[in-house]
Amino acid sequence: MKATAAITLGLLVLLTSSSAFAHHAFAVEFDATKCSDITGVLTKVAYENPHAYVFVDGKNAAGEKVPMTFQLSSTSNLKRGGATFAALNGSVNKEVTVRGCLSRNGTDDRYAASFIKLADGTIQRVGQDVEGIFGTKLWR
Amino acid sequence: MKMCVAVTLAAVCALPVAVAAQDDKKPFVQARGSVVPVPLPPGGPPPRMSDGHVDLSGVWFPGPTGKANAWSVLPEQRAKEDPIPFQPWAEAKYKGFSRVELELGSANVNCTPVGTPGMFTDNAYVHQIDTKPGMLIHLIENNNRWRVVHTDGRPHKKPEDLEPLFNGDETARWEGDTLVIDSISIDERTWIRDGWFHSDQLHVIERLRRPSLNYLEYQFTIDDPKVLTKPWTSAWITLSLGHEDLTENFCTRNENVDELKKLLDIEKKK
Repeated sequence: MKATAAITLGLLVLLTSSSAFAHHAFAVEFDATKCSDITGVLTKVAYENPHAYVFVDGKNAAGEKVPMTFQLSSTSNLKRGGATFAALNGSVNKEVTVRGCLSRNGTDDRYAASFIKLADGTIQRVGQDVEGIFGTKLWR
Repeated sequence: MKMCVAVTLAAVCALPVAVAAQDDKKPFVQARGSVVPVPLPPGGPPPRMSDGHVDLSGVWFPGPTGKANAWSVLPEQRAKEDPIPFQPWAEAKYKGFSRVELELGSANVNCTPVGTPGMFTDNAYVHQIDTKPGMLIHLIENNNRWRVVHTDGRPHKKPEDLEPLFNGDETARWEGDTLVIDSISIDERTWIRDGWFHSDQLHVIERLRRPSLNYLEYQFTIDDPKVLTKPWTSAWITLSLGHEDLTENFCTRNENVDELKKLLDIEKKK
């Protein structure tokens, strides 16, 4: 009973306190209504801050190779979530699928990524849940 | 009963996380890295230093789980607070920022110092605090920022010795078990948070307390007679004790400023 009360109290704390807001608002720069699964060959991982990037050679409607840029979260969030440099870099030169949301500013083939399916089949969370897949859609 | 709760918690903590989602996005629900937040228990009384004051030392994560919550499966919500008592001209300026302008003015987008109280209010990442009698050392992972504050109640520097600093001229004293950090002479290029600009008359009072082993609480008061009609005090913010090291986080590849400027150009043409 005590434990139940402690958990309830804790959840209450979670909902009434915050300083865990994002580095900045992805939803300003990227369009959460223009997201898709994009498959291609991972060519490079830039494991840096404030955002890491993965570069993927995808294909356009005509089947031509198109270099695409995906912005991920920070290395701090990636590491703690399991998307380490080694985990991502292990898929370089292999096929991956990225859930990406298009940039709003007209830059071609620039996306924010929320999830990536690596060559070994594991899916890693690599960005904010801009589509509300977990019901955590950004509030700003 | 305790065992039942423990089993339930273990099931909740297990990854992959099984929660409802739209069918077309279903595969991503299986993603590793998503976190169902489980709050820490209080953990007992806080430790004390040799001088009897509460020891605030520890690695502190925002929120109640003692670990990163960036990809929590629960939505973020801000605590209820009084409206900011802006003077009319300041309120008009504050409300006049577009979302792109707010981004472009952010220290985190520009990789510039977040200042005081920004190390708490404009920082989503982990803190490391080390206190010893007479001193607090505060490190944050976000762009490897730091400050050192004397906690012996010494006065501020003489007015003729003050200079604008991002963290300001800081001094601290204990009021019971609460550490009160008093800061003045803060560089006007910082924001309190989210576009809340300030004047050279900004006076920040931060309060830190550790009600139990696993929890740290933070509150700040803003007094800025050139911008506000009266002082304003935040809600208490909860942080919790982690058991991992800070990781290197330098801002070395910042593409957002240029990309956001393109967006601002589009906004201006509308």
